[in-house]
Amino acid sequence: MTKYYRAAAAAAALMVVAAGAIFLFSPTDALQGPVQRIFYLHVSSAIAAYGCFGVVLVGGAAYLRNESATGDRLARAGALVGLVFTTVTLVMGMLWAKPIWGTFWTWDARLTSTLVLWIIYAGYLLVRRLAEPGRQAARFAAVVGIFGFIDVPVVHFSVTWWRTVHPGPVIINDALPPQMLMTFLLTMACTLVLAGVMIAIRYRIETLMDQAPLAGAVRAIVHSEPAR
Amino acid sequence: MSTIVAHELTQRFGAELALDGIDFVLDKGEHLAVLGENGAGKTTLLRILSTAVRPTSGSLQIFGLDALRERTRLRARIGFVGHAPGLYPALSTAENLEFFCSLQGVDRARVAETLALVGLSHAARRPAGRLSRGEQQRLAIGRAVLHDPRLLVLDEPDASLDSGGPDLLAKVMLGRSAVLATHDRALANRLCQRTLVLRAGRALGAATRLRVVR
Amino acid sequence: MTRAVAVAFAVARKDLTSEWRTRELVPALGQFVVLALVIANFGFQIDSQNAPAIAPGVLWLALVFAGLVAFGRAFAAEREQASLEAMLLTPAPAAAIFAGKALAAGLLLIACEVVLLPALALFFGTPLNFALVAAVLVATIGMAALGCLFAAMVARVRAREVLLPLLTLPLWIPFIIAGGQAVQVAMGATGNYNQAVALLVDFDILFVVLTSLAARFVLDD
Repeated sequence: MTKYYRAAAAAAALMVVAAGAIFLFSPTDALQGPVQRIFYLHVSSAIAAYGCFGVVLVGGAAYLRNESATGDRLARAGALVGLVFTTVTLVMGMLWAKPIWGTFWTWDARLTSTLVLWIIYAGYLLVRRLAEPGRQAARFAAVVGIFGFIDVPVVHFSVTWWRTVHPGPVIINDALPPQMLMTFLLTMACTLVLAGVMIAIRYRIETLMDQAPLAGAVRAIVHSEPAR
Repeated sequence: MSTIVAHELTQRFGAELALDGIDFVLDKGEHLAVLGENGAGKTTLLRILSTAVRPTSGSLQIFGLDALRERTRLRARIGFVGHAPGLYPALSTAENLEFFCSLQGVDRARVAETLALVGLSHAARRPAGRLSRGEQQRLAIGRAVLHDPRLLVLDEPDASLDSGGPDLLAKVMLGRSAVLATHDRALANRLCQRTLVLRAGRALGAATRLRVVR
Repeated sequence: MTRAVAVAFAVARKDLTSEWRTRELVPALGQFVVLALVIANFGFQIDSQNAPAIAPGVLWLALVFAGLVAFGRAFAAEREQASLEAMLLTPAPAAAIFAGKALAAGLLLIACEVVLLPALALFFGTPLNFALVAAVLVATIGMAALGCLFAAMVARVRAREVLLPLLTLPLWIPFIIAGGQAVQVAMGATGNYNQAVALLVDFDILFVVLTSLAARFVLDD
């Protein structure tokens, strides 16, 4: 257990470093003011979320190909962590949008596809819970994960296409001066490390839960032996 | 080569252990009766043998093929009668069988033969939903032998059959290997040479020769 | 390959014959869409000014809900489960069985559209032309494939009525975006109809291929 605690502490420390960079190192945006600082974590979260979905895809595909229990556990871990990051992305996006755009929501490609991403993750976790535990749940979830992974860019593309006919109220400008760019890259790296650690911890939890039926028998044996 | 070689078949549904390390062998032409109370695991075992579901662990060979990998090939040679008849009520008796002929890839002529075999020729045009429960079960049995399988897996087929049931079962099981789950010991006596008794997912002893009770 | 096609057609014919003889689904769907239009009329406070603007949206809403019902039904009935297993326990490929069911369910939804589009034209005063019909038909193909795949999945799962829309609608969004545009243009707005329909065709191809590949993991153990 110690190595997981240590990894978690390291990831948390990295996030503190990133926070320092965000608030102290990066300059205040001329146009948007301090609110702009949300952007660093918001975009990093989005990238981490989609990365987690990639893990779900790979794990699910591995499971479908050869019933890999590792793949299935990885997919489960990735989905839960990814849902957390997607929620963070959506909330921070809305917090940022209100002062900047004057509205919490606008149906542009990125927001729409992130919302769809959230819904698909939620569907994935529901299917896992409601299907027959074991092979059926793993199989169905893998299929949902694969279709979901393909759907998000398709939705993104569709909304972008649609926006050429129905231009939205806002244009997103991605140009970044060097100090901001460095801050962003640092934050993204730290967030990805955090996501990785969270997935690893969740993977361990899933492994333990899979072994639970044996745990009862093991506990019985362990308790009958003299303590060390 | 034995028809079925099952080794350490185990089936888990989440935390529930439905089958716990079942071993048995079925030789060619043999009829095996699977006995046990409700919930003992008979249906679970038979569904695994029919290739409808795969076991959580263990190995299964049918006709010398790995039943976990070669399911499509095996399905052409296995006939299964499960708990629910799974028929199409809006289609006629004959149409039900014709449909399965298309799926099995067998000639339509088999429909008339099979209807005669199970004694439903008189009801060929009647919608399957208007057959009696016993007639529906006969149709399900007919569907199971439509493609002339070498192995029959029958889950309590006698449960809803009418009086001619045991004779029909004897007729269809003739010349084929069969695994038959039933509560009816007399039926098992009559139709099968060996038994496998299940209790709470475990086999009670190895498959033994039945003693005929007179 | 021809065996697979023969199986698919046999399955589709079986489903359509059953529906024709029982006439359970299509009349109910027809009534449902008409009622949806009535509700839309009052919910949106339709008058001759706003009808053309709102009609495309109403069409897609009605179609989506009718679709969920139609595809959900394809696998739902308890007896279907035993009969689905009976179909799988044959040499017939799972993808072919799936294709047959999706084909039949799609045709049943199209039968519902035969009621929906004229009713929409009647109640909302919108035009009923070939462009409109073509757009809806093309979208139906991909939507049927996706709807049936997830219907097959949730048929074996608890809380299926809730789970089916949750899984299917995110995948239908691209169809509604492109289809909505195509329908709007067909009804007289400005826009690029050809591009929209081309997109629908692309989505159809993508998802028909994907669902065919996924079918055996969903239908079979």
